[in-house]
Amino acid sequence: MDPMAAIRETFFQECEEQLAELEAGLILMESGTAEAETVNAVFRAVHSIKGGAGIFALDALVRFAHVFETALDQVRSGTLAAGAAVLNLLLRAADVLADLVRAARENGTVDEARTAALVVEFTQISNLGHEPPLTPKPAPKALAPAPAWLISFTPASALYAKANETALLLRELRRLGPIEVALDATHLPELSELDPEGAYLTWNITLEADCTEQAIRNVFEFVEDDCQLNITCATPAEPALKPGDVITGDNGFSFEFFPPPVFDDEEASAAPKAEPEHHEPPPALTAKQNPVEAMAAKAESAAAVSATIRVDLDRVDRMIDLVGELVINEAMLSQRVLEAGIARASGVAMALEELEHLTREIQDSVMAIRAQPVRSVFQRMPRLVREVAAQTGKQARLVTEGEGTEVDKTVIERIADPLTHMIRNAIDHGLESPEKRLAAGKPAEGIVRLSALHRSGRIVLEVADDGAGINRARVKEKALENGLIAPDAALTDDEIDNLIFLPGFSTASTVSDISGRGVGMDVVRQSVVALGGRISISSRPGLGSTFTLSLPLTLAVLDGMVVSARGHTLIIPLGAIVETLKPKAADVFPLDGEINVIRLRGGYVPMVDVAASLGYCDEFVEPDQSVALLVEGEGGVRAVLLVDAIHGQRQVVIKSLEANYRAVPGIAAATVMGDGRVALILDVDAVVKTTRSELSRPELSLAEAR
Amino acid sequence: MENIQPGAATLALPPILDLTAAAALLEEFLTQRGQPLRVNAGDVQRLGGQCLQVLLAARAAWAADEQALHLDDCSEEFLAALDLLGVASKKLTYCKEMSS
Repeated sequence: MDPMAAIRETFFQECEEQLAELEAGLILMESGTAEAETVNAVFRAVHSIKGGAGIFALDALVRFAHVFETALDQVRSGTLAAGAAVLNLLLRAADVLADLVRAARENGTVDEARTAALVVEFTQISNLGHEPPLTPKPAPKALAPAPAWLISFTPASALYAKANETALLLRELRRLGPIEVALDATHLPELSELDPEGAYLTWNITLEADCTEQAIRNVFEFVEDDCQLNITCATPAEPALKPGDVITGDNGFSFEFFPPPVFDDEEASAAPKAEPEHHEPPPALTAKQNPVEAMAAKAESAAAVSATIRVDLDRVDRMIDLVGELVINEAMLSQRVLEAGIARASGVAMALEELEHLTREIQDSVMAIRAQPVRSVFQRMPRLVREVAAQTGKQARLVTEGEGTEVDKTVIERIADPLTHMIRNAIDHGLESPEKRLAAGKPAEGIVRLSALHRSGRIVLEVADDGAGINRARVKEKALENGLIAPDAALTDDEIDNLIFLPGFSTASTVSDISGRGVGMDVVRQSVVALGGRISISSRPGLGSTFTLSLPLTLAVLDGMVVSARGHTLIIPLGAIVETLKPKAADVFPLDGEINVIRLRGGYVPMVDVAASLGYCDEFVEPDQSVALLVEGEGGVRAVLLVDAIHGQRQVVIKSLEANYRAVPGIAAATVMGDGRVALILDVDAVVKTTRSELSRPELSLAEAR
Repeated sequence: MENIQPGAATLALPPILDLTAAAALLEEFLTQRGQPLRVNAGDVQRLGGQCLQVLLAARAAWAADEQALHLDDCSEEFLAALDLLGVASKKLTYCKEMSS
């Protein structure tokens, strides 16, 4: 690779990071939890992209980034209030910027019209920001009986769209004290150009009340994001003492009153607000802040560079492979030492034990290199939600939790598609239209919640919507129509919900291009299962559905129980095992045909002879001659596995059987044991599920066999 | 009032002038534009910010066209809402100069 191409590649990698930061910052601003620093970070991200793009002469990118940056600068300096409409524009601009970066990287093309339209919108809002202040600075009253608050209130159209009303707010305000309202209609356009649902008016309210600023803010609490609100106190708390006044005491000691520092004030306020003072001197203000900020930005980026290095993924993968070999080798060495009959307390055995600890630690550290927060996947989702919501005409908001949850890079790469599909589904099928939601007494805006957390050595991802839930009658009807279940099948609610994972199932009456090609959830489940994961759904009518994905943290190692069945060594994943027990013949009851159940603390659990289910032998082992492991599979389904003996617990390196041989039902993967022999890793879910369906739902297993 | 003929066009405002009424109200004014108009506010129960915008813009438009715009029979609620929103009712009317 020639040096320029390498630098270019680095630039694009950095662009991806900047874009992620940009999006994250904008979402913080949208949710109202942004700090002053967030706005700066967002600005820096766009600025860096612009700078880099300039070096590589990516003109389209530079031009757009410049317009974007200008608007952000106005937000930063307070000349442009970051209301809902502005943020929406900024978010869309971030999407376009990402498209432009991608196009530049792959020499592709972008939707020129969309870019141009955004540039026009930017010009419009920028002009608004540059116009003279909406509120002429009020002259402070000399001496008022009660402190007078000057409130300037400019609703955005979103305020009305959310069914809020200025008149009601003013009425609320009047409860605090007598108000005087002056309407500023200077921004009202010509009648023919008026958008009936736009918002053009500013109200300047003088409130005479002895209350705190917070009390006034509380009135506007629910509309704060959808309006421009300035509250200033016209009369100082101590009217007698003005800035510049000097009091001289008897002893000649004097106090001088200084005006309160304005800049501290601004920095202390969390959300960027457009204070009246900021309208007048924007150039001076930004000039004053810029050099300092630029330096801070530089220092920060320098620190970030030194703290991380970029490593080619292949190198990490190679290292992981080697560590895997090391683990196997270490196990072999232990085995040899054991065979040589060296005493446990001997120096060799002790050194070996230390080696074992060390190996494990190395392995964990190497895995940690590959571990990445799921943030990188989560960050793609807000855009998806915006686009799908726009396509379906629904209102949706994405709430994410646990973005910092770490998981192996290969897992991250492979969950992006299933998650995308599930979120599309949640909006397209899960959420109702705004009208229906309002009719059902819910807010028009639906919420899709995406969360990640670690639970017992696995990562659990949840996609939940607050929509209508699964229409079970419709699902069942559809399953009957498609011949997926028998007409007389008696299914529990849970089983009906899980029908949607069957191949060839789609509940949407019309096939949309968003989801509902009839392959959706089936494909999702397949890709999740291929990752060694499980997927389940829970749904409450009227309250929404939750899809739960549980995935292994890594695809490279596994903690397993080493067992033997008819002379074959097998590994059972430790995560699936609930307990081990020694069955008594008296507790075992035969059920019709080939299934036995065991009585366990008052309940009955089906038993599976592992050797027989894998076809190692035909006759069944006597339960009292074997060891039983109680396991829990997908959706909490329990079964008891019968094996000949348990040999211990071990961390094993997973080798794909599918890649090296072919997929075997009932077997998840393979591993190499200390003695050099290959052991198979049992697919607990598959084994448990076959018994379940054989046991009670022949019709379901039939359907799944199709 | 003297410069509006008794037979001039009239527009009766609906009782609820909220967000949903704004578009229809604007439409009404646009179709009536270019002639003297009497607006009847006798039934108005509620007035929202967006309909107020339409009324203010209409007044400006009529003034620009030099056509008279009158407000008749204002309901108590309408006047109270205007007062609350900081608008004098005469700000919504326009009298054509006798000379023109």
